[in-house]
Amino acid sequence: MDSVAHRLSAVGAGAALELRGVTRLFGALAALTDVTMTVRPGERRAVLGSNGAGKTTLFNCITGDFPPSSGTIRFFGEDVTRFPPYERIRRGLRRTYQISALFPGLTVQDNVYLACRGVSRGRFSFLRPGVNDALMHATETLVQAVHLTPVKDQRVAELAHGQQRQLEIALALAGAPRFILFDEPAAGLSPAERLELIEILTSLPAHIGYIIIEHDMDVALRVVESVTMMHNGRVFKEGLPREIESDPEAQELYLGGGHE
Amino acid sequence: MSLTQLHAPATAVERPRFRAWPELNNPAAWLVALILLIMPLIASGFFLIEIFGTTLILGIIALSLMFLAGYGGMVSLMQLTIAGFAGYMVAVFGVSGNANISLGWPWWLATPMALVLATIFGTLGGALAVRTEGIYTIMITLAIGAAFYYFTNQNWAIFNGHTGINTVATPHVLGIDWRSDIPFYYLILAVAALCYFAVQYVSRAPFGLALQGVRDNARRMAALGFNVNAHRVAAYAFASFIAGLGGVLQVWNYRQISPGSVGVERCIDILIIAVVGGITRPIGPFIGALIFVILRTFALDVLIKFGLDGNRFRLLIGLGFLAIVFWSSDGVIGLWERWRRRQARSPSSTAGSRHG
Amino acid sequence: MARFIERHPAWALIAIIAVALLLWLVFAVWPPGLEQAIGRKRVFLNAIFNGITLGGLYFLVASGFTLIFGLMRNVNLAHGSLYLFGGYVGYAISAWTGSWILSFVIAFLAVALVGVLLQILVFRRMEGQDLRQTMVTIGLAIVFADLMLWVFGGDFYQIQTPSWLVGPVQLPFITAVKSSGEPVYLQYPMVRLAIFVASVIIGIAMWLALNRTRIGMIVRAGVDDRDILAATGVQIQVVFVLVFALGAGLAGIAGVVGGTFQSISPGEDTRFLLASLVVVIVGGMGSIPGAALGAVIIGLAEQLGSVYIPTYAIVVTFLIMVLVLALRPQGLLARR
Repeated sequence: MDSVAHRLSAVGAGAALELRGVTRLFGALAALTDVTMTVRPGERRAVLGSNGAGKTTLFNCITGDFPPSSGTIRFFGEDVTRFPPYERIRRGLRRTYQISALFPGLTVQDNVYLACRGVSRGRFSFLRPGVNDALMHATETLVQAVHLTPVKDQRVAELAHGQQRQLEIALALAGAPRFILFDEPAAGLSPAERLELIEILTSLPAHIGYIIIEHDMDVALRVVESVTMMHNGRVFKEGLPREIESDPEAQELYLGGGHE
Repeated sequence: MSLTQLHAPATAVERPRFRAWPELNNPAAWLVALILLIMPLIASGFFLIEIFGTTLILGIIALSLMFLAGYGGMVSLMQLTIAGFAGYMVAVFGVSGNANISLGWPWWLATPMALVLATIFGTLGGALAVRTEGIYTIMITLAIGAAFYYFTNQNWAIFNGHTGINTVATPHVLGIDWRSDIPFYYLILAVAALCYFAVQYVSRAPFGLALQGVRDNARRMAALGFNVNAHRVAAYAFASFIAGLGGVLQVWNYRQISPGSVGVERCIDILIIAVVGGITRPIGPFIGALIFVILRTFALDVLIKFGLDGNRFRLLIGLGFLAIVFWSSDGVIGLWERWRRRQARSPSSTAGSRHG
Repeated sequence: MARFIERHPAWALIAIIAVALLLWLVFAVWPPGLEQAIGRKRVFLNAIFNGITLGGLYFLVASGFTLIFGLMRNVNLAHGSLYLFGGYVGYAISAWTGSWILSFVIAFLAVALVGVLLQILVFRRMEGQDLRQTMVTIGLAIVFADLMLWVFGGDFYQIQTPSWLVGPVQLPFITAVKSSGEPVYLQYPMVRLAIFVASVIIGIAMWLALNRTRIGMIVRAGVDDRDILAATGVQIQVVFVLVFALGAGLAGIAGVVGGTFQSISPGEDTRFLLASLVVVIVGGMGSIPGAALGAVIIGLAEQLGSVYIPTYAIVVTFLIMVLVLALRPQGLLARR
């Protein structure tokens, strides 16, 4: 899918995401300390750890919501450490938020349309989209894909929690994502909704990699091929899902960490 | 579900009604439009300009605030300042009684110049205001408005100090004096309609939608690929142009401009107009302006009739504004809708089919 | 301070040079060439003193404004009205009793009472809705302005300076040297100096109260992080009412000061509201030292501006605000 030039620029890097010595301070408090991590294109990885382990801060550093205090972040070989969030998003990075971050005053359709518009041209267009507008098609397809067509003209403020979580995912799938960060997508979902979520994640096109933060091990370990464990803002352990599952130290730390 | 759907074109999906104009289906709107069009047959010269013309001009300026506040979440108190700036520029570049200041350009050059400069002025002010967020916007824009007021008072070289610029020339085109009552009324009406429909249209265009997204959740907008501050500044530019149009009409209306026309009180009047009318829809500012103008014109007589001091118009405005802020989040439109809903009493069926 | 120099060596150098230049201009006997270029030293010194004392007045108004904003996130656009009300009360008391000091006490209490009523009757009902609160303060400002116009009319009032503060005092600053070699010293109105000293004392007292008392700690913690307040179990509402009373009372005192320095009349409310806004934007929202720094900067800019570039004086003040917003949008001394 990538252009030749893009592939060339990525030669030598080869990683979708490459973090080197990323540290983030809040005043005197270090939320992240010297995190180094490499994720291949198309790789699916879980980040586990108790509350306060720095998982969401890690996401915020990668997307630029809060830039890191030091260290570098490369996205498909390009140094994006100093880029504003929107520049990273336009390069194919996506994220979802732990607490749904939607536009409550707009309809479902407008929410998804904005997501499609945000990663394409014409963000400042003063012309309303026509009947055959390609982005309108993309919007409808995406709304359909997350089963929200029946409520597409409702304001988001009126949606049920599960529907908001689905919309949250739809926003991250707009355009041509290359790498997605999912922040606890299963939070507050019913068992049936969780199954649906697993289906969405496993059926993503193979070239789209992601990192998922998830407390529900049943969800997390079923949809990833590698795991990073974090503790107190540091990377504590990396490995395959079954290694982590059977690792007593990791088990104790994670389950003893008193999540939620 | 399968994500392969994502890349297949949707075929049998219902077409969106993005192009629809809600007004076209509303008989009341047609009635209002008709009344506005035949107004010169109904109203005398005084009413035509002093009430309806002034209402539409103030409505246009308040509309620019409504656009920023309602869609962008930015309450700007400098919209009247931008309008006043445009008015001053018409007087400075065009023809006026102060020949030592006015450059004497013809109106078709001076007016676009004034609009361009007002838009630049408002855009720069906006760029300053978006450096901070939320409630700071009010403070910074109020400071800009007040600074401009004091500056016009102090500066004699361009703004002619506290006397201002008088006998500003108005356009004569095609043998018509566009400042005589009836042509001027239609000119104002045309500009007001243009601005109203432009705002309505843009609110559903990508730019307007993105602005509403910024209002609801700026951080998420950045995480969708939008340059949030650029959108905010662009919104200021658009609103400044509208305010500038209002300012040009304003200076043609009074044929003079002075610091009194751009005072802090006047800036706040615009906020009052927009809030009283309703800040979430483009029609709100015009309703607010009508109420404001009627109060301003008749409060004196009414107050005296009730045996009160006729000078207490500001008190009335202030109390009315407080009442609206206390009891309605959406001005008189909100009150009206709440009243209608209570009259209707039929349970509105909003719930769509929930699935999960 | 040391950290600032470390992090911004260029800015620190510019600041040091500016301060050194200012000190030289104040203390040195000006060479004739300089006097020819920019005028008499007496004019300059007077402008400096007027600017600093005006800064003292601005500080009194703005510190209350910034305190109320910092703790309650309430942008009180009726703050100018409180100032004007204080001025009128002060005038009435001093005209009635002839006591200048008493007018301060009564003005403080009366305006503080207005503040208490506002907080209890109005703002407590709309906590957390900062935009709505601000709208209400705008409405209140209009209502107050018209009520005061109704009662006091459009006249100018000046509060009588007490006899023990009337007249100039000689300061140890040389303005010029006579041809006989005898130095001429600066004469400056006693009352302005006294008021400036008083505002410095009030500022220090506030700083001490905020930093050394329990209630001050609570207020400061609340300014930094409002959630902490709830966690400490203090009666937030009581703290809010006290802070609103103090902030309003300071505006009342400032009204008396302004009525003695200058005069009070309709329109002064807007002028001092604007001054508070600019001072607080420049100094940093919610910061008392910021308000002090901003007040002196704006006071100096206004006075020097009106002496040396009279038709553009307001532009200087405004440009300072623009510059601060462009380089440090949170204000010079704000934490964030």
